[in-house]
Amino acid sequence: MNAKKVLTATLTASMAMGMVIAAPAVANASEFTTSELQVNIWDNNQLAGLQQIADEWSETSGVKVTINVVDWDNYWTLLEAGASGGQMPDVFWTHSNTAQMYMENDLLLNLDDYIANDDAIDLSNYYEGIVELYNSDGVQYALPKDHDTIALLYNKAIFDKYGVDYPTDDWTWEDVRDAAAKITEAGKDDGVYGYAINTSNNQDGWYNIVYDYGAQVITDDHKGTTIGSDEGKAGMEMMRQILEVAAPQATVAETGTDSLFNSGVVGMITQGSWMINNFYTAENHEDYAWALMPYADVNGNGQCDKGERYSAYNGLGWAAAANTADPAAAYSLISYFCAEKGQLEQAELGVTMAGMIGVSDAFANAFDGMDVSPFTRAEEECELYFRPYTRNTPVWEDALQQAGGFLDAWQDPSDPALMATACDNAQAIIENAIAAE
Amino acid sequence: MKQKMTPAQKSEARWGLLFVAPTMIGLIILNFYPIFKTIYQSFCKTGDFGKGNIFVGLKNYSVVLNASETWQSLWNTVKYALIEVPFGIVIALILAVLLNKKIAGRSVYRTIFFLPMVCAPAAVAMVWKWLYNTQFGLLNNIFHTKIAWISDPKIAWIFVGVIGAWSIIGYNMVLFISGLQEIPGDYYEAAEIDGASGLRQFFSITLPLLSPTTFFIVQTRIIGALTVFDLMFMVMDKTNLALKKVQSVVYLFYQYAFTNGNKGYGATLVVILLVFILILTAILQRLEKKIVYQN
Repeated sequence: MNAKKVLTATLTASMAMGMVIAAPAVANASEFTTSELQVNIWDNNQLAGLQQIADEWSETSGVKVTINVVDWDNYWTLLEAGASGGQMPDVFWTHSNTAQMYMENDLLLNLDDYIANDDAIDLSNYYEGIVELYNSDGVQYALPKDHDTIALLYNKAIFDKYGVDYPTDDWTWEDVRDAAAKITEAGKDDGVYGYAINTSNNQDGWYNIVYDYGAQVITDDHKGTTIGSDEGKAGMEMMRQILEVAAPQATVAETGTDSLFNSGVVGMITQGSWMINNFYTAENHEDYAWALMPYADVNGNGQCDKGERYSAYNGLGWAAAANTADPAAAYSLISYFCAEKGQLEQAELGVTMAGMIGVSDAFANAFDGMDVSPFTRAEEECELYFRPYTRNTPVWEDALQQAGGFLDAWQDPSDPALMATACDNAQAIIENAIAAE
Repeated sequence: MKQKMTPAQKSEARWGLLFVAPTMIGLIILNFYPIFKTIYQSFCKTGDFGKGNIFVGLKNYSVVLNASETWQSLWNTVKYALIEVPFGIVIALILAVLLNKKIAGRSVYRTIFFLPMVCAPAAVAMVWKWLYNTQFGLLNNIFHTKIAWISDPKIAWIFVGVIGAWSIIGYNMVLFISGLQEIPGDYYEAAEIDGASGLRQFFSITLPLLSPTTFFIVQTRIIGALTVFDLMFMVMDKTNLALKKVQSVVYLFYQYAFTNGNKGYGATLVVILLVFILILTAILQRLEKKIVYQN
């Protein structure tokens, strides 16, 4: 009792003197003032696994963790409204699309002092792009939660039925197009399509083709784009040829490519590693298989050279609200998720690949009976580029998906001129959006 | 000349104010303050998270009024109202007249027709979204058609309007029934003695005497339809080609204010919508004396 009083007095005194006291990262139950932390995420597939890890933390900390799932579109609306009104969840995911805006407005908890006093966290162990993303003016605002890559998903039953060879790791986008054409032609009466992609399948879809052909959706300095260049147009022309033999735009807009695939009416789609669980738990998952992202044989030598096979990667960050009632507890939970044990567990449970380098191999084995190694192999065999982002990404990202962006070309893929115009429009949309930031 | 209040009147006035205070305070904090805040924001280039607003005068207005999408979405909203309001009212009126008669299971029917009103609008929209689905939807499967109900830019607005009308019929019907019950039975008896047919009775007695109710419903439904948002938001994916031909002003507001984080631009859109609704309401009020039957 006395010790507690002394501690309280010391704390009060030092705060009064304006001294900064860094809270210890691994703390025991009595040091947390709150009894519950509210956590917001947007992916229902990850809920069970993350709750399990969080519950382990609760056992040592005595603080209950409530994880709320809000779907992607509404997640940001809710977070923004909460940020404006001072009602943010204690701990939540951040994403490249908006991280910069939140960091600049001091809405996220400054983690520097906590990290410095935490033996379990060494920032050099994580993917550099993700660490950098959540760093603004030298201050770290979030720790890398995970990283993701993209791969090609196909339905073996459909390939068997129409006598088409399975995709291999050596496939180019031309091979994808030809196989899709065969399936769509043969499956006409069954309503089966060889391929499906929507304008909203960007990171997990057409962005990768743009990079394969040598253009960049957002340049490395985040200040421009080369999507309207000849390389960008060549990539989107390839996309157009695939769209000609893919499910029509109206169909993918109404049902969604993942639902179409799970309904057994689409032969191939590209998907991100964060979606694996969705397909692994699907009714016909035994028919599903993954292959490495196809490449673009730009130099025409018949093999995949450096710079011809790309996969987008992105990593979420665990951040805490700057005004959270108990910053020490919030950081302690973040640290638990991001330290090696939590990262390993996250991979083993098949939640996602790790944000920490070198602990993702367990992820490839997490799905009994389904080979998901293309996602982990992508790290060596693909060039990884970070998901294109600028300060306020949704402005141009949404515009690209709609009429006036690529939607018109998606709607009528038979016209090459329409796709070329869409690339020019996209160039203008992105440049205008960046200028307005 | 103004009379001085007696102490009793003063005390009564004070108590009166006290009793309306909860409502007034609620209105001021939750309605009036946001309205003026929104109007102020429409003159600003707003910063992130409501901080750092810069006054820019009418700049937002000139951009919004010169954007074709503003006028397209206003037209979309009007088109939606043109489906929802007339159909929602005519069908509700017919149902109300039928269900005002003494028929077996009357309250069961009333409950059934009122049910859509009890359902969450988002749930209603999700169910209709699947009914309308081109490839797997029930409608296309029953009729053996391949109609893109909500993805064809030419027709999508009609079928979004249909959902709106369907959802509101029950509510309108209940209002009509209460209006019908206020019409004295004597008129119908007299008409029957004079040999008027059922149809004649409807047009000469029911319709004129119901006109105050009808007018009230028309006016509130027009305002309701012009501020529609949830239907389009739930039914149509943002990559739906028909979206630009269906999205309402409030949908556009949502896109700018919340997705793009441009509160000033969003505020300008809703202020313009507010002015539009005010003008329309003023016109309707003028028409009231001419349309509504005065006893």
